[in-house]
Amino acid sequence: MSTFLVSVGIGLATAAILSLSAVAFTLEYAVSRVANFAHGEFLTIGAYAAYSGQTLFHQSVPAAALIAAAAGMLAALVLNAALIQQFRGRSAITIFIATLGASLILQNILVIAYGAANVSYTFAQGGLHHIGPFLWTTSNIEVIFSALAVAGLIYLLLQRTRFGKAIRAVSQDRALAQVSGIPAGRIVMQTWALAGAISGFAGFVLADTIGTFSPTLGFGFLLLTITATVAGGIGRPYATFGGALIVGLATEIAGAYTSSAYQQVYAFLLLVLLMLFRPNGVFVGRNATAVRA
Amino acid sequence: MYWVSVVTEAGVFAILALGLDMVWGWCGDFDLAFYGYLALGSYMTFVLSIGKPTAPVRYIIGWHLPVPLSIVIADLTVVCLAAVIGAIALRNLREIYFAVTTLGAVYALYLIVENYTPLFDGFNGVYGLVNPGQAALRLTYNGYRIVFLGVVFVLLFATYLLVQRLSRSPFGRMLRSVREDERAASAYGRAVFWAKYRAYLVGAALAGLAGGLFAIFISAFNPSAWTPQELLVIYAAILVGGRGNPRGVIVGVFVVYIGFIELTRFLPSPASRPEFGPAFRQILIGLMIILMLRFRPEGIFRERPGAGATARSGIRRLRPTRPLGAELAAGPGRPASEPTPAADEGSTR
Repeated sequence: MSTFLVSVGIGLATAAILSLSAVAFTLEYAVSRVANFAHGEFLTIGAYAAYSGQTLFHQSVPAAALIAAAAGMLAALVLNAALIQQFRGRSAITIFIATLGASLILQNILVIAYGAANVSYTFAQGGLHHIGPFLWTTSNIEVIFSALAVAGLIYLLLQRTRFGKAIRAVSQDRALAQVSGIPAGRIVMQTWALAGAISGFAGFVLADTIGTFSPTLGFGFLLLTITATVAGGIGRPYATFGGALIVGLATEIAGAYTSSAYQQVYAFLLLVLLMLFRPNGVFVGRNATAVRA
Repeated sequence: MYWVSVVTEAGVFAILALGLDMVWGWCGDFDLAFYGYLALGSYMTFVLSIGKPTAPVRYIIGWHLPVPLSIVIADLTVVCLAAVIGAIALRNLREIYFAVTTLGAVYALYLIVENYTPLFDGFNGVYGLVNPGQAALRLTYNGYRIVFLGVVFVLLFATYLLVQRLSRSPFGRMLRSVREDERAASAYGRAVFWAKYRAYLVGAALAGLAGGLFAIFISAFNPSAWTPQELLVIYAAILVGGRGNPRGVIVGVFVVYIGFIELTRFLPSPASRPEFGPAFRQILIGLMIILMLRFRPEGIFRERPGAGATARSGIRRLRPTRPLGAELAAGPGRPASEPTPAADEGSTR
């Protein structure tokens, strides 16, 4: 029983990170209709930026998190301008292959810059805490709370601000939004910046939670991210949090009883089941078309 | 001997690329699992031919079959795996969903092979297939390698003939019509799933064959020899050569492999940073994929309209029709507007 509860606790922490990554992925998809394969690299860039920054700012965790978010934002802006905009009007699969190329480029630039070997942060992980039935480190708790905070902020942003309203308009019909006077290009750019910042931050907390990381950090997390996104329904930011919860818990619990090395295998099985039976996500009826946020 | 090795490797990958092009070039499905098929073909060839494992090493089967027979059985295994993955991925999933599913499949295969040691000895991998039949053929090491190069090229040529023939057959044309407009093809009574499925299995069989040859080529195989991302090199080669054009695909593979190996050989690679060279090569491959897609998605050799359907009968197909009198309508001295490209040239979508 305790194995189960411990893995549920870890699953919640994984789900928190996953929800950050997946919500960013789904925002990118919502405004640009692009399944961004280079999304994992935003996470990796965030993680390495924080790694570079940790000595500079005297091991301050908030400073490292900010640097990670800024680096992720920068990477997303560059990718949007240099690649996504260049391929506008091309088919989804063409853009997907192009982002695959971008992923290869970014990953190997990091290999050249930092080496292919594992590195790790020197932040203190904090002690273990028994909270209810769960066993968490201090940083686990911080991760879970920060994910909840980001979820809340995104909800408020999308529902209560003009910017959020514009994002929803652009994601439903870009041309219509444009003729209604919404500067679609700028909104898309800002959404990518937002998604990049969330990804960079997610990369930092992911690297901090795992302990050691290498330039393939984000690429390895991409399959889980995509599974969580599909579970929620691609292009639907709120449902993505639910999807992340399902995927995080399912893979951690299954991994706890066999071997954590197989987590991605379970993620894949889950992905296949979802695609075959619920391609629009688990939160809409089986035959309903997904309503995009 | 260095060149023999480079050209042999390119030949093996050309077979893989021809198989992959049947799926991507003809059917339009972007598959990421193909490197897994090559790997499985390779592993199976090893375990079927190198005999029982000794103490710490563990792997399945461990027979002592002749290598050509091993390759055939290995290839059948690969086709079985592809039959399962294809049945899942091809039925309803298209485009990105298809790509993600096949990526997930190859990733799962990779992790299982790497972590489940009783299968193919996990991360250590399998080895011991050094020039099979060298003694029987009474060849020197170098002589054997040259003969092997010859075998690879004969098989590549046979594959090319097969693919070319399929490409010109009604089957090949049906696949292209499915690629261009699945609904229209199915409205005209084509069984879309079965068409794609058959092409997928043939493609996977070619990948498995390439895997068997690759086993002989490198004589040891472990998970560091095949990350799923390696497949991107093949995609880059197909993009350079020309998607859907078998001759172009072969040229593309040779250009990319030999060009890249030669180019990156002269790069400064400091001893303290051994990862520099390979990383730089990957960056170039990524750039090449993006630039080709952006500026010349049809490749150097574009897919020929009608894929040479009439070449066999010796009648040259007419150029795409230009509307009668278009020259007159355009006025003297001004070229008539270009006719709309034939439907099957729209492969860039």
